[in-house]
Amino acid sequence: MTPDSIPVSHVSTLECRSCGAGAPVDEHFCPQCSRILALGRHGDYFAFFGLPRKLTIAQDDLERRFRELSRKFHPDYYYNATPTERLASLERSSYLNDAYRALRVPATRIEHLLAIEGLPSTKSEGESGAAKVPPALLEEVFELNEELDEIREQREAGAEPTALASRLDAARAPIDRKREEHERQIEALSVQWDSQAESATPAERRATLDALRETLLERNYINNLLATIEREGSGLSALGPGPQAKSQEPRG
Amino acid sequence: MGKVVGIDLGTTNSLVAYVRDGAPRVIRDSTGDALVPSVVSLGDEGTIFVGREAQRRLLTTAARTVYSVKRFMGRGIDDVKDEAALLPFTVSGEAGGVVRIGVGDREFTPPEISAFVLRELKQRAEDHFREQGEFDFEVDRAVITVPAYFNDAQRTATRDAGRLAGLEVLRIISEPTAASLAYGLDKKNRGTIAVYDLGGGTFDISILKVEDGVFQALATSGDTHLGGDDIDRVLVERVLAEVGNVPAETLQAIRKAVIQAKWDLSDHEHAEIRVESQAGLPNGYRRAITRAEFEVLIRPLVDRTLGPVRQALSDAGLEPHEVDEVVLVGGATRTPLVRRLVAELFGKTPHSDLNPDEVVALGAAVQADILVSGRREMLLLDVTPLSLGIETIGGVVSKIIMRNSTIPASGREMYTTSVDNQTAVDIHVMQGERELVADCRSLARFKLRGIPPMPAGLPRVEVRFQIDANGILSVGARELRTSVEQSIEVKPSYGLTDQEVERMLIESFEHAQADFDARLLIEARNEAESVINATEKSLRRPDFADVTAGELTKDELAQIDRTLADLKHAMAGTEREVIHEKTHALNHATRHLAEIMMNRSVREALAGRNVKDI
Repeated sequence: MTPDSIPVSHVSTLECRSCGAGAPVDEHFCPQCSRILALGRHGDYFAFFGLPRKLTIAQDDLERRFRELSRKFHPDYYYNATPTERLASLERSSYLNDAYRALRVPATRIEHLLAIEGLPSTKSEGESGAAKVPPALLEEVFELNEELDEIREQREAGAEPTALASRLDAARAPIDRKREEHERQIEALSVQWDSQAESATPAERRATLDALRETLLERNYINNLLATIEREGSGLSALGPGPQAKSQEPRG
Repeated sequence: MGKVVGIDLGTTNSLVAYVRDGAPRVIRDSTGDALVPSVVSLGDEGTIFVGREAQRRLLTTAARTVYSVKRFMGRGIDDVKDEAALLPFTVSGEAGGVVRIGVGDREFTPPEISAFVLRELKQRAEDHFREQGEFDFEVDRAVITVPAYFNDAQRTATRDAGRLAGLEVLRIISEPTAASLAYGLDKKNRGTIAVYDLGGGTFDISILKVEDGVFQALATSGDTHLGGDDIDRVLVERVLAEVGNVPAETLQAIRKAVIQAKWDLSDHEHAEIRVESQAGLPNGYRRAITRAEFEVLIRPLVDRTLGPVRQALSDAGLEPHEVDEVVLVGGATRTPLVRRLVAELFGKTPHSDLNPDEVVALGAAVQADILVSGRREMLLLDVTPLSLGIETIGGVVSKIIMRNSTIPASGREMYTTSVDNQTAVDIHVMQGERELVADCRSLARFKLRGIPPMPAGLPRVEVRFQIDANGILSVGARELRTSVEQSIEVKPSYGLTDQEVERMLIESFEHAQADFDARLLIEARNEAESVINATEKSLRRPDFADVTAGELTKDELAQIDRTLADLKHAMAGTEREVIHEKTHALNHATRHLAEIMMNRSVREALAGRNVKDI
């Protein structure tokens, strides 16, 4: 029961709950009383970190900014503050942690860029429309499914597991190649987006985003295929050390 | 405002520490002992004994004595009924509810038992501050540590225990991260640290990155039911296999003996498990054990720690050799086998410069100091150990906050209604890594009320999940079309409601007088015991015959024997005044003896030395 999210109107200013002064939405502290500001309806992780909306991010720079902002927002330092500031510190720290998690990994970074540029999420489509094969992958998926069916049949007929495992590896190879190809495409598109930041027309920029989204969708689909192959593989090597991670639940 | 302390509330032992002049220190009793055994015993008149005294009572009144209660915190009866079989106290509870511990005619929840231990630590700290001449000696706030792998229910139960003990719990922090703070104090270096924490009842592994004074946990994993207790149990079971069933007190005597042997084997290749003659064990029990035998027995337990270690490393995206430093925490890491396996796994010798029993309390004190002083040189960024999700259609868990997310962390989920004019929605919150509800841990059920009546599917209710810096969840909700805040009714699955905590608080005030009496009794007993020990030591001296032949009269000796027997007799009872009086009598009777012994010692010390040495 997850309805579509309703668009949230973007507010351009914040009101300081400590002194009532107005502040720009990307400020963390009130320009008037210098107290920590409530988060409001912030939506742009790049701006929150003081970064341009670009996909190439130096990892150590991001980490340094994360540590600096953590030192400014963390609830540890607001223990003696007013309830308003304590709440703001909790909200801002949580948001910082969420933002850092999203920007740290290229795939989620792109996902966030698409969201703030107004494109629909690739996630929801991956779940509800799982059956829809991306057109560019039709051939590979068809071949893979045939091969998987045969492997399953042979396994049930009691075929030699090692032979089946190597067959599975062979079936996996073209998918792995596709994935590498997609990684390269995503990288190229990311560079293209960054170079378009100042000069390109809105239409050109939009085209890059659409292409990014399409590639990301395909890549998600490929990852699902690879997970399926993994599961088949672990079924084959039930006697050997399976690649499946064991559950981390406490006993009981 | 009173004092602030850091508390390590352990399965086997607990400690309290505080920061003075920027340096953390643990608080010891008059004998220099920092450990308070996490043992609680109920006396006949309803008095509560905690610590060493309670531990002594395990050997005499096992059925009224509770230990290892941390294993039951935030858990249900189904989780614990197997291990409860070996314990002297009764464990009960309804399915899906809080565990109840039966002691004599009273019943306690695990947070109440833990609160007794916390109160003892609070008292110990207050006594210490009073002795230091502090005017404001009251301890009213604390940082309490929990295993990193504790789930929401276990953390909440710990916080409830703090409240019940009259402490404002400033923060719940995880034990390995606390330990890293204590280590980080005098090491300004940066790098990746692995903290391997094998305590009395729990195992944790945490991987942290330290840079610019920020201690950032990258990943954590563990097992909340694996520790020194399990090593003891393997040894106890081994003995029981030979001697058959024994009464509860004898079982505790065996337990004590195997623990001693375990300790001996940390420093020696050979040890002996030795139990004196007991009920059900008329000839006592003696058995030699080598370190090699011991290691064969416990190897499966130690191996169980390696899975979580690999998991945490992989979650942190690291290979074992990329870890710069390995820190050992917890008494069970004194076991040579553990040290060897950890060293092999990481390819480097683990650190153990700080006492592994004390390092967690020291770190908790540092964190407490950061919170109240606003010191900013150091910052601890911890992670949530388990993913948080909600039940969706078909009994599947939809994850909202992933494990190893830095806390505080938040997540949101949209809900709507399925029937026209529906005003409430049920939400089931889960914690765990598995896909199905049945395989995850139920945290709480929420009822979302007050949704404005609208056609089905029209309301847009946003539910916000907030994990705070304690790793504890809170939930808020708002209908976005109308901006109406929703009320949320919480039913914790394995925890206490606020009302229950309030009621327990009131009850604990009612028992305060009995507890106060118990404290006075314990103090009287401790004093008596030290006088008895000193007297018996003198009587056993090899030169005692000379003393009775010359300086001490027969009457004096008879008087000492008589008062000593009187005091021992009084010790068996619970009359504080009598114990006090007899202690005084023995003290008086031995005054001359003490003088004689003192003079002899001085003469001995001086004998055989020349003037130059003196």
